[in-house]
Amino acid sequence: MDVLHWDGTISVKYFRIGAFAFAQNWENHNSGFPPWSWVCPKHHWLASPEEKGYLSWEKICISRPNEEDVDQISQIDTREEEISCPGNEDVIDDAILVQSSNRELHYYDFHIVYSSTFRVPVLYFRAYCSDGRPFSLDEIEKELPACSAKELSKSKWTFITQEEHPYLKRPWFKLHPCGTAEWMKLLFLSDAAKPKFEVVLELYLLSWFSVVGQVFGLRIPFKISN
Amino acid sequence: MAAAAESPSSVRKVVVHLRATGDAPILKQAKFKIPGTDKFAKVIDFLRRQLHRDTLFVYVNSAFSPNPDELVIDLYNNFGFDGKLVVNYACSMAWG
Repeated sequence: MDVLHWDGTISVKYFRIGAFAFAQNWENHNSGFPPWSWVCPKHHWLASPEEKGYLSWEKICISRPNEEDVDQISQIDTREEEISCPGNEDVIDDAILVQSSNRELHYYDFHIVYSSTFRVPVLYFRAYCSDGRPFSLDEIEKELPACSAKELSKSKWTFITQEEHPYLKRPWFKLHPCGTAEWMKLLFLSDAAKPKFEVVLELYLLSWFSVVGQVFGLRIPFKISN
Repeated sequence: MAAAAESPSSVRKVVVHLRATGDAPILKQAKFKIPGTDKFAKVIDFLRRQLHRDTLFVYVNSAFSPNPDELVIDLYNNFGFDGKLVVNYACSMAWG
C-alpha cells in the first residue's frame, strides 16, 4: 500500500492485526499498567467472523494527585503545581494511573471497537464508582483535564456521545470518530522519512491512543513507540 | 546524539523547531530554546498564543502525540534528532 496516498483509515483485518500488536507492545513495555485484552464475543451473529472482537481495558482508576498519592505509581512530581502560562488560572491536571486502591475511586472501562463506517478505531468508555453506580457525562466531565472539559462544553454532541455499545448492547459513551482518519494521516505522513506500511500498521493503535488517551489525561510511556 | 545547548546557568535547554502541517500557518519565530525541565504544555501554550487558537493538534515524529505533562527533555531524548526536537502542529483537529 502506498503510504503517500493513504487516507488514514484501516481495514477490519488490519485493525485486528494492529490491535494485537498494540496489546503486545503495551504488555512488553508497561509493567505498571494492566494489560489490554482482546474480547471475542461468541454469539454476535450480525458481524461476519473477521469483524468480531474488540480491545478491552477495564477497572482503570484515574484520580487526581493529592498528598496521600505520593507512594502510588506516579509519573509526575506531585510537589509541583504548574501554571502553564502567565494569567492562566488552570492548574495542569495530572492523571495518575493506579491499579488498586482502598479509597473511594472512580473506575473506567475502555473498549477499542472497530467502526466499519469510518474504518477507524473508536474509543467506547464508561465510568462508575466502586458500588457499580454508573457516572453521567456531567460527572465524568468534572474529572477530565481542563482542555477536554472545555472541548466538551464547546462541541458537546460532536465530541462525546452516548450510544449503544455495538457488542454489549448497553449505553456507553464514545469519542466521535469522524475526524480520526484525518489526524491519523497527519500523524504518520509528517515524518520526513515516509514510513513503510508495516510500520504504520504496527504503530497505528499506539499513535491513535496517544491522542485519544489525552482526553482523559492518560500518559502513554513512549518507550513503546521506539 | 548531539547534546542540547547549555546555558550559563547550567539548566540544560532543548532546541525546539515548530513545524506547520496540514493547513496551519507558519510561524515567523519557529525555533527557540526551552529548559528541558519545562513541561510540553509550555510549548503547546506558546503555540496557542501565537496562533490565537485553543484547539491545536500537536505531535512529534514517530506518529506520537505527547501528553502535555511530559518533560521537554524526555521528549528530546526519545524523539529528538540532529540536536533538536521537531514539534509538528496542525489546526484542523476535529473530533466529530
